[in-house]
Amino acid sequence: MTQYEGITRRGMLGLVGAAAATVPLDSGAAGAQAASGEVTVRMTVNGSATSLTVDPRVTLLDALRERLQLTGTKKGCDRGQCGACTVHVDGRRVVSCLTLLATLDGASVTTIEGLADGDRLHPLQQAFIEHDGFQCGFCTPGQIMSAAAVIAEGGARTDAEIREQMSGNICRCSAYPGILAAIRQARTEMR
Amino acid sequence: MTVSPIGREIDRVDGPLKVTGSAPYAADYRPEGLVYAYLVQATVGRGTVRGMDVSRAEAAPGVIAVFTPFHPLPLKSPSGESGENYSALQDTAVRFRGQIIGLVVADTFERARDAAALVSADYTVTPSRTSLADAGPGVPQGLVQKLAPGVSSIDAALASSPVTITTSVSQHAHHHIAMEPHATTAVWVDDQLTVYCGAQSPQRAAATIAARLGVEPAKVRLICRYTGGGFGQRSPVWNEALLCAAAARALRRPVKLVLSREQVFTAIGHRAAVRQTIRLGAEADGRLRALSHDSDGELPAAGGWQMMPGRDTSAVAYRTPNIRIDQRLVTLDTPPTWSMRAPAEAPGMFALETAMDELAVRTGVDPVELRLRNYATEDPVEGHPFSSKYLDECYRVGAERFGWSRRTALPRSQTDGDWLIGMGMASALYPAWRQPASARARFRDDGRVAVASATSDVGTGAFTMLAVVGADELGLPVSSIAAEVGDSALPPGGVGAYGSSVTTSTVPAVQAACRAAVKALVQSAVDNPRSPFAGLAPATVRYRQGRIEANGRSVDFRTLLRTMGVPHVEAVSTSAPDKSASQYKFHCFGAHFCEVRVHRLTGEPRVNRFTSVFDVGRVVNAKAARGQLTGAIIWGIGHALLEADPIEPDGRFAAASMADYLVPVHADTPEIDVHWLDRPDPHISEFGARGLGEIGLVSSAAAIGNAVFNATGIRVHDLPITIDKLL
Ligand code: FES
Ligand code: FES
Repeated sequence: MTQYEGITRRGMLGLVGAAAATVPLDSGAAGAQAASGEVTVRMTVNGSATSLTVDPRVTLLDALRERLQLTGTKKGCDRGQCGACTVHVDGRRVVSCLTLLATLDGASVTTIEGLADGDRLHPLQQAFIEHDGFQCGFCTPGQIMSAAAVIAEGGARTDAEIREQMSGNICRCSAYPGILAAIRQARTEMR
Repeated sequence: MTVSPIGREIDRVDGPLKVTGSAPYAADYRPEGLVYAYLVQATVGRGTVRGMDVSRAEAAPGVIAVFTPFHPLPLKSPSGESGENYSALQDTAVRFRGQIIGLVVADTFERARDAAALVSADYTVTPSRTSLADAGPGVPQGLVQKLAPGVSSIDAALASSPVTITTSVSQHAHHHIAMEPHATTAVWVDDQLTVYCGAQSPQRAAATIAARLGVEPAKVRLICRYTGGGFGQRSPVWNEALLCAAAARALRRPVKLVLSREQVFTAIGHRAAVRQTIRLGAEADGRLRALSHDSDGELPAAGGWQMMPGRDTSAVAYRTPNIRIDQRLVTLDTPPTWSMRAPAEAPGMFALETAMDELAVRTGVDPVELRLRNYATEDPVEGHPFSSKYLDECYRVGAERFGWSRRTALPRSQTDGDWLIGMGMASALYPAWRQPASARARFRDDGRVAVASATSDVGTGAFTMLAVVGADELGLPVSSIAAEVGDSALPPGGVGAYGSSVTTSTVPAVQAACRAAVKALVQSAVDNPRSPFAGLAPATVRYRQGRIEANGRSVDFRTLLRTMGVPHVEAVSTSAPDKSASQYKFHCFGAHFCEVRVHRLTGEPRVNRFTSVFDVGRVVNAKAARGQLTGAIIWGIGHALLEADPIEPDGRFAAASMADYLVPVHADTPEIDVHWLDRPDPHISEFGARGLGEIGLVSSAAAIGNAVFNATGIRVHDLPITIDKLL
């Protein structure tokens, strides 16, 4: 019989947005002010120490894509509405489009490029391939990063929970059934 | 012995790149010296730009140039193509709200974006025509009529029918919402342009860009190896990409233009809003005597795709002696329209299948039985037989898998707590279209065979289709094939990824190219003096599973090529439909069965489950086929329950963001049971595949609407079916 979920899709989008918004508040440090109005941020990206001096308007998403050439993280809306830009900051999933780089001094960032263990795919990456959890692939890095965090948070226990917790990541190709199957499989392998 | 991969569960060959974030999309290229562009769009619905103040933008840090109608980038006018009928910045006319009126280029994305916000414009405003409902009947564009001998008009046929049904339905604009916003990276090296830009038809797009920039076609190469969704919105070239290429030419440096999500809603075409009326005349037992389908579709003054929702639906679906399809177009001052997945078939079949459900209710005939009573074995207007049609089997298998016999016809008769449960069904059909197509097969001395066609994989699985068909044809494992698409520099004749035609058209071309490449390999083996087969008659040499064999010797092609000192041997072939094809009507078919629940108190509609069975000819890759079919069914959930962008009187879209324009999310997606009959189409090609990228969307919304009626007794005619309409 069908599960009737309690949380609405709007509720879910709100939760994801809220998670992103709390990062700046929690991380505290505002970053060192550079002479030209730019800020210098020192952080760890996929395990490597990185220092960037940027315009304070730069988001984490644009910093990854345009400054660090980590283009695996995608921009689908730039407004926190689609989840394509999901990365991990200090182990929590955030939408990087709503995260200003200047707030991340001292933070540790993991992107899709940092998920695999060398040439060995992460169980989620492998499961997405096996269950065809994508078509065009544009939402896929965000889906996988969200799923990894959801599983790590101890969520994704039931199909209904996966569907709710993954509802901040839109897939217009609508590969949702494959994504669900992939998360189910990887959940077992990751625990 | 290699097992044929055809029809099996094959992983996408582009999967590893996509799950690791290493597949490059248009905005992921970063040529040396790259600068960033940002659009400025009109903020009035119609009129003229009197003047623009660009001084603050030009003075902003990092700004390199500001282009406007008063300082334009040269572009030629479009000629003969459908789509936008003007070139941006070439005049001061404002045709719709959101039209491009400026382009700002700066050294960083942030600086370009913020400088664009500093540009202001003065307008002379004229009232816009935006309401389809108020416009009245449009101009007839596509009339199809067939009347039985002695019948004077469709109205007469309807009037003399014992049972008549009149159903009017409407839907607002729809947006494709491909997850990748439109992006272009344009790089000139001397007079040669390379454009990285998502495109469904790379060669057509490259030709359009060349024509609009006024350069030789050979000077433009378009690369779209990975594209974040198409759904129709990437079949034409829009003004934004042209401006990006023109700016790169003017500034002599690479330019990247990525539209914001909000800009995509107006700078890129949408599915036209449309209003339709179906009139059915039937016997008391439900057999049709007459079918009339009228439509009024939005056609923007700025150009667009013509919405003709009756032609491939009501004119094909059922046997009836009298048919009239009147498709009218209404000129409005709205952003351009464009084809969107099952462009006319999705709205058209929603109308027809809703009316058929009403006829079932009125006559008391079971909806499946009603459709069987009106089963067409030939095109009801032209009289051509269908090439291959097993829709009756789809109904039977689908009803069985779904448990249709458990449905009760009386609305509100099944409940689960506070939820009203309803079941509905609808039939689907979509034209199968084979175009001439070309492909190249190349034996390489690294031991792989490159199979290429200048089509595009917008998520449809074209890469994998080439690999599977190539592997099957050459008796090699799928991993031995290197598939290539998404580059206009591949051999001419790649088909565009639209009309569900890539697989239908390209499979025969790949087969032909592989056969020709084998021939070429054999020829080179007997011709090349360094070859162990030198001097043999070609007929005595045979190719088998990657090996060349003759006189008891057997050499794999990699060794052979290396021994001969030849890096590769290749062939390009083109394959076109047989002349005999014209005597058939080619269509895919399907039957959707769906269960919904509607909350008794809140009116919230949710889809519980779907079962859909399709007759799509021979399937190349089960995994990709399932993805296309289920994905499209989920689009039907959007069509039925979520998607609408109403336009306001001033020409502004009311829902031009992803927070306001709702598409199905994971939590909207129920269990979906998709099944296909494995029946190759004997007339479409030797292989027998018909494209299946769109049919899943056709009528899935109608099945939901019919189930909602069964649950509640409420028939919603104006989509989407939202809570307010169920209270
Ligand atoms: S790009 Fe960040 S949520 Fe869409
Ligand atoms: S795979 Fe295309 S949007 Fe998810």
